[in-house]
Amino acid sequence: MALTLNINGKSHTVAVDPETPLLWVLRDHLGMTGTKFGCGISQCGACTVHLDGAATRSCRVPAQAAAGMKITTIEGLSADATHPLQKLWVEMNVPQCGYCQAGMLMTAAALLEQIPNPTDADIDAWMTNICRCGTYPRIRAAIHRAAEALRA
Amino acid sequence: MAQTLRMTRRQFVITSAQVGGGMALSIAAGDAVAAALAHREPWSRPLGRGAVEINPWISISPDDSVLIRVASPESGNGVMTQCAMTVTEELRCDWAKVRVESISLNRDYQENLVYSTPGDFVATFAGRSTIPERMEYLLQLGASARERLKAAAAERWEVNPAEIDASNGVLTHKASGRSLRYGEIADHAATIKLHYEPAPKPASEWTFLGKASPTKLTNASIVDGSGVFGIDVRVPGMKYAALMQSPVHGGRLKSYDFDVIKNMPGVRGVAVVEPSAPRKQVRWRLSDQDNAPQAAIAVVADHYWQARSALEALPVQWDPGDGARWKTTEQLYDAALEVLEKPGETVDKDQGDALQLLASSKRRVDATYMTPFCDQAPMEPLNGTALVTADRVDIWHPSAISIQAYCTAAEEAGIRPENVHLHQTLVGGSFGRRLFGDDVCMVIAVAKRFAGTPIQVIWSREEMTRQGRYRSLKAMKLSAALGGDGLPIALHTRLGAFIKSGQNGLMDGAYANGLIPNVRVESTRVPLHILHGAYRAPGYNSIAFFVESFIDECAVASGMDPLEYRLRIFDKWPDAGWKKCLEEVAAKSNWGERLPRGQGQGLAISNWAMRGKPHSGTTVAVVAKVNVTRAGELTVERLDLAFDCGRILNRDAVLAQLQGGMLFGLNMSLNEELTIHDGQIVEGNFDRYPMLRMAEIPKKLEVHFGALSGHDRFNEVGEPPVGPVGPAVANAIFRATGKRIRTMPFRKHDLRWT
Repeated sequence: MALTLNINGKSHTVAVDPETPLLWVLRDHLGMTGTKFGCGISQCGACTVHLDGAATRSCRVPAQAAAGMKITTIEGLSADATHPLQKLWVEMNVPQCGYCQAGMLMTAAALLEQIPNPTDADIDAWMTNICRCGTYPRIRAAIHRAAEALRA
Repeated sequence: MAQTLRMTRRQFVITSAQVGGGMALSIAAGDAVAAALAHREPWSRPLGRGAVEINPWISISPDDSVLIRVASPESGNGVMTQCAMTVTEELRCDWAKVRVESISLNRDYQENLVYSTPGDFVATFAGRSTIPERMEYLLQLGASARERLKAAAAERWEVNPAEIDASNGVLTHKASGRSLRYGEIADHAATIKLHYEPAPKPASEWTFLGKASPTKLTNASIVDGSGVFGIDVRVPGMKYAALMQSPVHGGRLKSYDFDVIKNMPGVRGVAVVEPSAPRKQVRWRLSDQDNAPQAAIAVVADHYWQARSALEALPVQWDPGDGARWKTTEQLYDAALEVLEKPGETVDKDQGDALQLLASSKRRVDATYMTPFCDQAPMEPLNGTALVTADRVDIWHPSAISIQAYCTAAEEAGIRPENVHLHQTLVGGSFGRRLFGDDVCMVIAVAKRFAGTPIQVIWSREEMTRQGRYRSLKAMKLSAALGGDGLPIALHTRLGAFIKSGQNGLMDGAYANGLIPNVRVESTRVPLHILHGAYRAPGYNSIAFFVESFIDECAVASGMDPLEYRLRIFDKWPDAGWKKCLEEVAAKSNWGERLPRGQGQGLAISNWAMRGKPHSGTTVAVVAKVNVTRAGELTVERLDLAFDCGRILNRDAVLAQLQGGMLFGLNMSLNEELTIHDGQIVEGNFDRYPMLRMAEIPKKLEVHFGALSGHDRFNEVGEPPVGPVGPAVANAIFRATGKRIRTMPFRKHDLRWT
């Protein structure tokens, strides 16, 4: 069965079982590997994408449920890695192994869209993704700095 | 270590391993090899056109970009960046134009071990970028390349090379006002043979190392999703495999029914992996265990989700084997505790007369501690991609030790090393999980059933968690006799473990190497089927908890403040860095502040890699501040850490490792425990094996640099913080509630108080 998905502003038609999780359609059928598989049960958030702007864990979303929605992945967060979060992630040396960071960035970007000036409590509530390397303090600091940059 | 590996490879004996059983539907092979090799390094960006290799490690392009090859894979600690920094110090190139990629093990093998000598760094896993031998080698590489660039410019200008200055990628002859960029003369430099090896300058003259603190070279490829981890490899014609291994480690596959799934969408076949198939093992000396695969079955399909769905539908029966007799976790714990009541199987250390002093002591302290099985749980699930043909193997892999992956692939495929090509990817965390090549072995074992087709094998999170190479359970009974001044004069320990353990942090530590005059260390090993491996700071991650909690108990028994107690103990220690760490962390954490009931501070100090002598390893002192509600809810409000690793080369990289290591140690202490039921690991995913998240980390996580002694070592910093966090928190809980915590994880303790 063919599904049409709108990803990063482009329309993609894929022949796929519509129950296949969006994560695997992105990764295996479309070759967009920036979105990561970490747990498969919506626990870790490595697979976070935006569906109509909302941060969503794509490992538990059937692809057909995303049809008709505006899907944004890490590859589409900005055209050239210039989203303030991306720039600060590099500058503040946030990543360690980096595997969870696409999901972290997508979650943080959605947070800043909803709450342009988040408090620590807002960051705690939104950033529930798992990082095994322990980059949380830098993620928090980078989100605060990005909020400043976006206000300027 | 290098010697060992070189010998190992010279002694390479290749046998043709067989895999029994399995059924495969036909797959058209296609010319995937050529296509796959278009990108040798899947994650690095190509150099500019016309790049010239100055030596196997360094290439320079006409646009002045410099490619530095690194032997250690990048698993998050910045090792590739650090190695490139060391070369850059002497090469004096423009850091903004430096790129890194992994060495080719195939080239190493074919070209007279060009990457293997001297030192051990081909073999070495992620860290250890700063051991002296490696530093010297990398500095020499940079210095030699720089002098050849100078010599080339001198020939062109017909001047004395000594009159040429090299700086920031530019060669300048001041007297004549001429200059050349490195990229303009690299091809000439590549032909220069030096008559001497230039001596790298002394550390006191470094201008980059220890001064600059550049961010990781890999960051850019992380933030836009373009970085290629093992699981991101895409090879034309590739199929996917979902894997299931014997739920009880060591069990056997009894039966399966392929007919049930053969018509499911995309399904191509199954691979059965037989653990007793003959294999030649390379024994990595860090490990005392085999990296042979477990009995396994994998379903191969066009897409991963199809493979996984089919695997879930596949009827499979296992013979669990001997491991099934371990019915419950309590049985395991009892087995480890039971041996503590008898003299140890081995006496690992016996100095002075600890037993006699304890027998006659009027002031003695006794306690028993235990830590459970834990999984490293890196965020990237285990995976690998391999293409096996009759005469060649290509494997794309997130290995933490490239050479282990390379050798393992050759052995499992039965292909000679010169025909093995390892394509190292980024590594989505290791923490000890990706060292020994058991994952490589499994990937090859599956892929060789589908010769000619690239196969990507992906472990589900549940499969990975239940088929780990774990931090093994340890129990320890400690007894101390206290002298008239309250300080320990005798220490007797007994370890009960399921593996032979080096007891890092005790055997090589300060208490047992001079501070306590009478020490007896015993251990007993209990056989068990559950697999084990390395987990960040092996041995030490348990032992530091045992020892530093126990010393705290001794302080309490003496009626002394825990800081004062330790300061008195370390008064006699020739390495002043220990006391400096204690004083620094106490001052910065406001040690001794008056706190209401339910709040408390705790202190711990330990050293990773001390190797039995002062001025060695990395000393780390931690103060934890906790809050425990009457209902028993624990919050770690603050962690302060002071450390002494001698000197540092990149302050921000050191800070990142210490921050991350503290949180790793905290999660290990608060949350992590694997349990068993009928011989199988119960926990499969993060719902049952919890990880700290943003809201749960301490509001203050402070690293203090004031205790750095400046001693001329650059010891590693990734492992050391994992040790003292747990005991500092447990000691703080004791002060807050009066409850002494002697087992991990802390979340399972009833901390209510009235």
